[in-house]
Amino acid sequence: MAQSANDRRRINGPEESFPPVFDDDDEDTQLKTQRSRAPGDIRPIFLQPGLISQANGSAYIETEKTKIACAVYGPRQSKTTTYSEKGRLNVEVKFTPFSCTRRRAPMRLKDAEDRSIGVSIHQAIVSSIRLELFPKSTIDVFITIIENDGIEGCIASGSLAASTALADAGIEMLGLVASCSAAIFGDDIRLDPSEAEARASDGTVILACMPALDSITSIWQSGQMSANLSLKCMRQCHERCIDIHSIVAQSLLEHRKID
Amino acid sequence: MTSISKAEKAYIQSSLLSDPPLRADGRGLIDFRTIALESGIAPIANGSARVSIGRNVQDGGGGTEVVAAAKLEVESIGDGEGVDGGRVVCSVSCSPTAYPLLSPNALDDLQHDMTSVLNATLSHPTIRPKNLGILPGRKSWLLNLDVIVFSDAGNIFDAIFMAARAALWDTKVPKTKSVQYRAKKDDRSDATQAMDIDVDEVTYAGSALDTRQTIEVADFELPDYWDEGEPLDGKQTWPVCLTLNLLPTLHFLDATLQEEASVPLKLLVFYTFPSDATPLLRGMRLLGTGVSDLVQVKSLLKDGEKYARNVWAALEGKLKDEDLRRNQKARERFLNR
Repeated sequence: MAQSANDRRRINGPEESFPPVFDDDDEDTQLKTQRSRAPGDIRPIFLQPGLISQANGSAYIETEKTKIACAVYGPRQSKTTTYSEKGRLNVEVKFTPFSCTRRRAPMRLKDAEDRSIGVSIHQAIVSSIRLELFPKSTIDVFITIIENDGIEGCIASGSLAASTALADAGIEMLGLVASCSAAIFGDDIRLDPSEAEARASDGTVILACMPALDSITSIWQSGQMSANLSLKCMRQCHERCIDIHSIVAQSLLEHRKID
Repeated sequence: MTSISKAEKAYIQSSLLSDPPLRADGRGLIDFRTIALESGIAPIANGSARVSIGRNVQDGGGGTEVVAAAKLEVESIGDGEGVDGGRVVCSVSCSPTAYPLLSPNALDDLQHDMTSVLNATLSHPTIRPKNLGILPGRKSWLLNLDVIVFSDAGNIFDAIFMAARAALWDTKVPKTKSVQYRAKKDDRSDATQAMDIDVDEVTYAGSALDTRQTIEVADFELPDYWDEGEPLDGKQTWPVCLTLNLLPTLHFLDATLQEEASVPLKLLVFYTFPSDATPLLRGMRLLGTGVSDLVQVKSLLKDGEKYARNVWAALEGKLKDEDLRRNQKARERFLNR
């Protein structure tokens, strides 16, 4: 018996459906890739810790069209029986069905895209947590993407939200992780690209670092560019990450003051 | 992933950090194990290759073994997921024999991770080959590149990308001819009349000088040809991967499983060396629980480019040899039999 795609708890629409095509979809991609801010400017970040009271720590991040909620549960006992001397970090990412232009089925369990974002965020934050203090324990980070403006934006904002939520949960860390993405157009570098910009670009770079320790935790570069351009891009991202770090620290301090 | 004891990890790390650096099989820090490559191993696929790193000379076993095969299929643009000009989709599947200690779920996750690295690099729009279109706006080729990992003895990403490059180099795209179906204008009463097939030229029932009607190509056919088609475009654009395993003060290449487990961080760099232009960095990934910094990354990129250039040159020489062996020499042997 083939596994039915019908979810009995929901009203299932027709099996095949397509999103409506609007007139302005045909508008010039030039218009979409033009930006109203300078190439070195990132979009303003709204970061609020303590959103989900049930979780040990949580954070909500919003930058223009990217909205991500993150909840941290832990350190709690590992479900597996294998002994691990260091704690385990488990990052799970889920897209809400209404987050992308094409609806994503809510029951899709092992989606490749979900997992690749989870792996990138894991890579970005794992070296910042003092896992050796939590043997036999797991720290679960659940990231829900409420609105999605490009994978690069999701990974960068998701890493920020995860780091803030971990700090909100009081888990010991070596430093806060700040993350920034960039898109390359020929020889120009544009920080914090939107989805249309990233798709029209020659390549993208996502950098995650700990500005407090001046160390890089994750680099993901794809597309084509010379090695020098890629280094220049990383340096710009790194400088921007120092600013983002102060935003994260500020929001955590303000949240504590209110309590 | 290999589990390794703390004592063994410390042993491997201290021998690498000693002066001179020592490795278990006596190699230098930047020496590769023997790499064997064979192309055209799957005759049904449009292009295929098999790469093995570190195979035992005596019995041909052991080592990392990877098979890559490219298969073309037609997809429609608009209704389907096709893109004008064709696209490339990659996937990696790990045979359970390669990782006997992993549960099926963990194996699934490992496959996903390798697939996403391969896809992010090879399916990027900037690397798309130019001869994958069939009918502009209607039909195009979808190139499925499937990589199977049969055994993993370390340095799996280098092997996967070498096999992918070799398979894509070997791929031949079948020639297509656009075709338009047209009913005979005169005998409309006779419905059993066969339709005329006009191939690339249009014979009007009316005047041949009638240029008011534009030709709308509606379908295509595969003409009978003696070879399998034209080689896939972009032989100079498929990148080679280099895995640099990092310790805080040094880096080394082509790690065995134990060495990989003892090292907290590795950097994957993907380089292409087009013959007349500067080398292009097609991708970069930092993997592992360690940290790096900009200074280290800068020097690693420079060293990585040097090593990747050697791998590229060696691979290209071998691929040209393979081309010769399978085509020219085979013909000579056939003629002289």
